[in-house]
Amino acid sequence: MKHILRQTALTLLSFAFLYALLGGASFLVFLEPSGGGPRDFQAAERTLYMTVPKYVVLGRSVLDNSDRKVILVGASNTGVGFRQAMVQANLSCAGVSNLGMGGANISEVKQVIDLVHEVQNEQVRRLNTFVIGTWFGMFVDSDVRYADADRRRGETDIDIERYRYGFYRRTPDGAVAVLPPKWLDWGVTALRPFLLFEKLARQARAGVNLVLTGRTSVQRTDDERESVVMSKREQQEALEYWKVSMGGKDEISRAQVDVLKDAIEALLGSDEKVVLVDLPIPAWHRDASPYQRGYQEALKDIVQQFGRRPNFVSLSMDDLDENLDYSDEVHAKRHLAQVWSTRLAMVLNSFVCQEKDDTKPPVATLQSSERLSAVPKSN
Amino acid sequence: MSLISPIFFAFVAATIVAFHISESVPYRRVVLAAANAIFIASYLTDFTQVLPLFAFLALGYACVCTLYVRRASVVLALGVAAVLCSYIHLKRFSFFDDLGHLPFPYVTIGLSYILFRILHIMVDVRSGDLVERIGPFAFFRYVCNFLCFVSGPIQRYQDFSETDGKAAVKPDTSNVYGAFSRIVTGYVKFVIIAATADYAFTFLSPQLLQAAPVPFFKLCAIYATAASLYTVYLYFNFSGYMDIVIGIGGLLGQSLPENFDKPFTASSFLEFWQRWHMTLSQWFKFYLFNPLLMFLMAWLPSPALTAYLGVLAFFITFLVMGVWHGTTAVFVIYGFLMGAGASINKLWQEACIKRLGKKRYRALSGSTAYIYFARGLTVGYFALALTCLWVTELPQFTDLLVRLGVAGVLGTFVVLIATFAMAALALDLIRERVHIPLSLSAIQNGEIVRNLTLASKMMAIVAVATLLHKAPDFVYKAF
Repeated sequence: MKHILRQTALTLLSFAFLYALLGGASFLVFLEPSGGGPRDFQAAERTLYMTVPKYVVLGRSVLDNSDRKVILVGASNTGVGFRQAMVQANLSCAGVSNLGMGGANISEVKQVIDLVHEVQNEQVRRLNTFVIGTWFGMFVDSDVRYADADRRRGETDIDIERYRYGFYRRTPDGAVAVLPPKWLDWGVTALRPFLLFEKLARQARAGVNLVLTGRTSVQRTDDERESVVMSKREQQEALEYWKVSMGGKDEISRAQVDVLKDAIEALLGSDEKVVLVDLPIPAWHRDASPYQRGYQEALKDIVQQFGRRPNFVSLSMDDLDENLDYSDEVHAKRHLAQVWSTRLAMVLNSFVCQEKDDTKPPVATLQSSERLSAVPKSN
Repeated sequence: MSLISPIFFAFVAATIVAFHISESVPYRRVVLAAANAIFIASYLTDFTQVLPLFAFLALGYACVCTLYVRRASVVLALGVAAVLCSYIHLKRFSFFDDLGHLPFPYVTIGLSYILFRILHIMVDVRSGDLVERIGPFAFFRYVCNFLCFVSGPIQRYQDFSETDGKAAVKPDTSNVYGAFSRIVTGYVKFVIIAATADYAFTFLSPQLLQAAPVPFFKLCAIYATAASLYTVYLYFNFSGYMDIVIGIGGLLGQSLPENFDKPFTASSFLEFWQRWHMTLSQWFKFYLFNPLLMFLMAWLPSPALTAYLGVLAFFITFLVMGVWHGTTAVFVIYGFLMGAGASINKLWQEACIKRLGKKRYRALSGSTAYIYFARGLTVGYFALALTCLWVTELPQFTDLLVRLGVAGVLGTFVVLIATFAMAALALDLIRERVHIPLSLSAIQNGEIVRNLTLASKMMAIVAVATLLHKAPDFVYKAF
């Protein structure tokens, strides 16, 4: 027995030594930013967290502070179209964080909102303005959207990151926190050696890609995206792709519409502000897709339901549908992102930064930030 | 109980501590029996799920007891028939669907290996090789030994009995480190190598089974890569699991038999099966091949036919071994492929000896080109045959064959032979040329360095386990 105990102690000591060594190295390579505040979660690749879902799950505690916050949530077109730096440059009263998540459906957006709430108390939550960017591609059920072979069916990228390190456990009712959210930063600190290892593994893969293909990632750079023009064939392939991605049906998921309504209701119920943005897509895609009509009807229904609530505003930028302004069927090019970001900042300036005046009618529907239209209270 | 779950580590640690608290053999046997019961219970969500297993064990033990009373061939035959019928019924073989199934869910994990152990005891009691009277608790500790429960190794009762609760392997600094190192190496194989191969395989294989057309050469390339990846996955998953249980066995004073001996160095199909899943091969050799050959030789006692009877016995043995792996029609195909591989190998040996003579055949089979070609051929054939283990439904299997055609299958086979032959040659050349200097070897064996090496492997295991995020499962538990 004593030999077994001795070997156990030696193994654990050696492990602890290596663990401390790697943990220390991780602080040298990736300095911990001091204090909380707005973050560009889209820049995850440059951090120890590597991916947006991981950054959001592990790095969200920066959103727990007493500053006014604008938190952008949505899919990749929210991440690409509303650049954190561009929006922030035009918005002085609040810190902007972009938590847009590639491939997100509405359920995953709701998960992101819940994650933010987990690290905030009620007072801090009241300082939130959630900008929810939507388009029809997000209204697909999780069982359809998240069905890759290397995940449990229906588990989102957020779920994967929640379970990956044991901070949450699976239950029939969904993820349950094992690590109390107030200890999140301690948990992340404990993970740093493994995050560093993961980072090194990803860098090694990027190095292999560089050797094999001459580039580190298959993702196009901003400069490359600026010059892209989609061919007719590529447009057809994109339509086919979305047909498959939407589960082969010609309609958006009503359940996802309900999830969005519930999410907005919950946010407004806790005195948070909501900006619902109908994100434009190129005209060819909008006109050819069978989903656009149902999506617009659902959105209209949502705006009607919440439009008279003082903390709700909607924004449509449907005039920004020029095909050449998009690098593919969804994503705005950099020059268009500047326009999107500026328009959003204008809305936010009037919605978030101006002191609340109860005598004014609530701003309800903004067809675009250029023409703020106040809707009178119903009788 | 997943091998990489914290519960499993806690369970193993608690069992080892409890085992070593006292040197009393009866106490240790109670600890081991309790560990077996807890291990089986970890697969249950309801008590009723274990009742069929209990019934199967009770039937097996009743047959053994009957054989103690009356060691007659007819009793053995009836007992084997009863146990086999119960096994087939509980395993829900698709060929016997009409016989009906039990109307509630129950555990079947470990059933195949329990069957092997029970049949071994019955046959050995009947033959007189096992004279020791086995009590019900010893029977339970043996057939349900948690270390071998899921997938072997298949230990003979005589060997188990020598170490049962006795700590035959005395723990000292060297063998305790050896056991730790074996466990960690097992996890490296299981969590890093096998899981990575599975990760790549999981992404590739759906392209073979999807309806969308894939260009012919791309299809063959994907098939060859997927088949290779699955072979790597299967080997490292299974042999990693064996390393883990053998290492834990070492800490519990048990000396479990080895199940793998560098199978990819085999230069014939028959040699491959002497190195792969060795305890299963030996079981089939003792309890099917040998009696079958004896029977055939008694039935057709012509010396000229002996070699061909051996071929037939090999075919039947490997056919049964293949069919045992699963419950669908594809596993019959797998059995035929295994049987064909073994019998063609035997026929080739006989033909070469007849044509060349033993001396020239030995010279031929010792030449470098022959060895590496034979190694490539052996592993390539095995990798192709393993398709039956990952395309387990007949319509999908036939669809894949139709899409590949004869040219596709043969082309893939040639690519696999070349790949494995070249890989074997390259690895052997590297091994021959790379020598660790004596001074470095001394440092490596120093206590600090070897423990840091162990710890760094553990770090890598945890890191890769989190990186791949989907917990690897033990593939053989399905068989």
